[in-house]
Amino acid sequence: MVFWVELLIAGVVSGLVIGLVALAITLVFGIARFPNAATGDTMTLGAYGALAGHAATGSLLLGGALGALGGAVTGLAAYALVFRRLSGRSTVALLVASIGIGFILRAGLALAFGHTQQVFQAPLVRPWRFEGVRIHPNDLRLAATAAFALAVVFATLYLTPIGRRMRAVADDPALARVCGISPVRVMVALWLLAGAVAGIAGVILGMRTVVAPEIGWDMLLPGFAAAILGGIGSPVGAVVAGLIIGIAQEMATPVVGFTYKIALAFVVMLFVLLVRPRGLFGRVEGVR
Amino acid sequence: MEAYLAAIAAIALIYVLLALGLTLHYGLTGLINFGHVGFFCIGAYAAAILSTKGGMPIAVGFVAAAVLAGLAAWPIGLVSLRLRDDYFAIVTLGFSETVRLVVTSERWLTNGVQGIPGIPRLFEGLGVGMPSALAIVGVLLAVNAAAIWLFFRLVKSPFGRMIEAIRDNEEAVRALGKDPARFKIRVLVLGAALAGIAGAFYAHYIGYVVPDQFIPLVTFYVWMAIIMGGVGRISGAVVGAALLMLFLEGSRFLRDVVPFISAVDMASVRIGAVGLALVLFTMFRPQGLMGDYTRR
Repeated sequence: MVFWVELLIAGVVSGLVIGLVALAITLVFGIARFPNAATGDTMTLGAYGALAGHAATGSLLLGGALGALGGAVTGLAAYALVFRRLSGRSTVALLVASIGIGFILRAGLALAFGHTQQVFQAPLVRPWRFEGVRIHPNDLRLAATAAFALAVVFATLYLTPIGRRMRAVADDPALARVCGISPVRVMVALWLLAGAVAGIAGVILGMRTVVAPEIGWDMLLPGFAAAILGGIGSPVGAVVAGLIIGIAQEMATPVVGFTYKIALAFVVMLFVLLVRPRGLFGRVEGVR
Repeated sequence: MEAYLAAIAAIALIYVLLALGLTLHYGLTGLINFGHVGFFCIGAYAAAILSTKGGMPIAVGFVAAAVLAGLAAWPIGLVSLRLRDDYFAIVTLGFSETVRLVVTSERWLTNGVQGIPGIPRLFEGLGVGMPSALAIVGVLLAVNAAAIWLFFRLVKSPFGRMIEAIRDNEEAVRALGKDPARFKIRVLVLGAALAGIAGAFYAHYIGYVVPDQFIPLVTFYVWMAIIMGGVGRISGAVVGAALLMLFLEGSRFLRDVVPFISAVDMASVRIGAVGLALVLFTMFRPQGLMGDYTRR
């Protein structure tokens, strides 16, 4: 019993990371209307940014902030240099370009920081015990960070004027334009937000495990799976689906083994596309 | 020197086979296949396992490679071809990663990360060296010529008109009472079988297979080839694969010229160059080098 509860807790924490990735994917998919394959490598950049920031300042908090900032700047740069110029072109053009941007980011990070795995030099803390269940204070801190980031994103989306405009563009770009909403400002806000979310996801992933050039790319598939399970364009769905996939992956590990827990995301994705292509919270139109 | 050129020609011709399959999928039909390496991997492992552990003749391995890769494409098509094309890209990418996980994990069949060594070379009877190398290149040339001939016939046939119509306007095809999904599944299986044959050639040419040879980067090598060459053109696939080979081999020579760059760094430089090529061609020359110069 204790064993499964510990797996559940690990699942919730990794589910929050997947939820953040899926949120970054679904925001871009909903508003810019293509699956951004550079999301994973933006995460990696966030993780390395936090590593460098932590080494320079000695503060995990400042390092994490630098990682988020790095992600936001990367998102904005990708939009300004590439995606903006490809607007109006087919989905495949944007998709191929996003793959290319991901490769460039990964190559740059590997050249700058090397290929060896690095870890955050954080003090070791003894886990707390509740009824025999071990809980790592670090996991709690990271979960709190993820929850805080999610709260900020949802507050931006649902409580601020720019968030309302973003949702309007997601709903109907033509109608939003007729109503006088500037598409460029919405896009700038979108890419800053999505980049920062991906950056924070990378920081949390890097602090929980290790930092290496491939960590982000490996999260792309679970992220896509969660975005589809939650329903493309639905921020709430992305987070809920991320938690479901994270918990399912951890709980399945004793049964299917460590390697196949990654394949589980693919199976979930296929199953959702077969049974309910619009996902848990998605709208009816636009998938088939 | 001749041996080196023969080796480059053999690998380049294998890439042409892959590029032809992707041209059929994406260039002619508009299927965004991001998992081409998965079919390549299935073909390579099928040929490797049958000719080493199975003790079968090499020809059986080739047939099995084509059939198994085609069969693997079938369920993928059934599940995802009725969906929007960006979903198809994600599903195929996930498929190729899952194939790699399976060959990494199922040690009883694939030896896991150690891979399968000692795959018999083609034409070993002719003796090691130039005669067998030339024979391999000759067979590859013949297979490529056959595939290209088949492609030209296909494009001119009613089937070819139908798949190009699906690429250009799927709604119109549906309005005419045709079911695009059925055509797409056939195209998917055919291109996957071609990738499977390419995989069998690769396994028998290199002599060993390991999961690391089948990373998603290979898929995007092939994408880079067809985008550089010109999407939807058979000449584009051939020219693109030649350019790709020039790039891969050129980056190897760069290491000899610039001594302080390590092998792992060179791999990163290569990934970055592929990324840059994908971005720049998409932005500035979407029709590729052999594409229609009047259109944009």
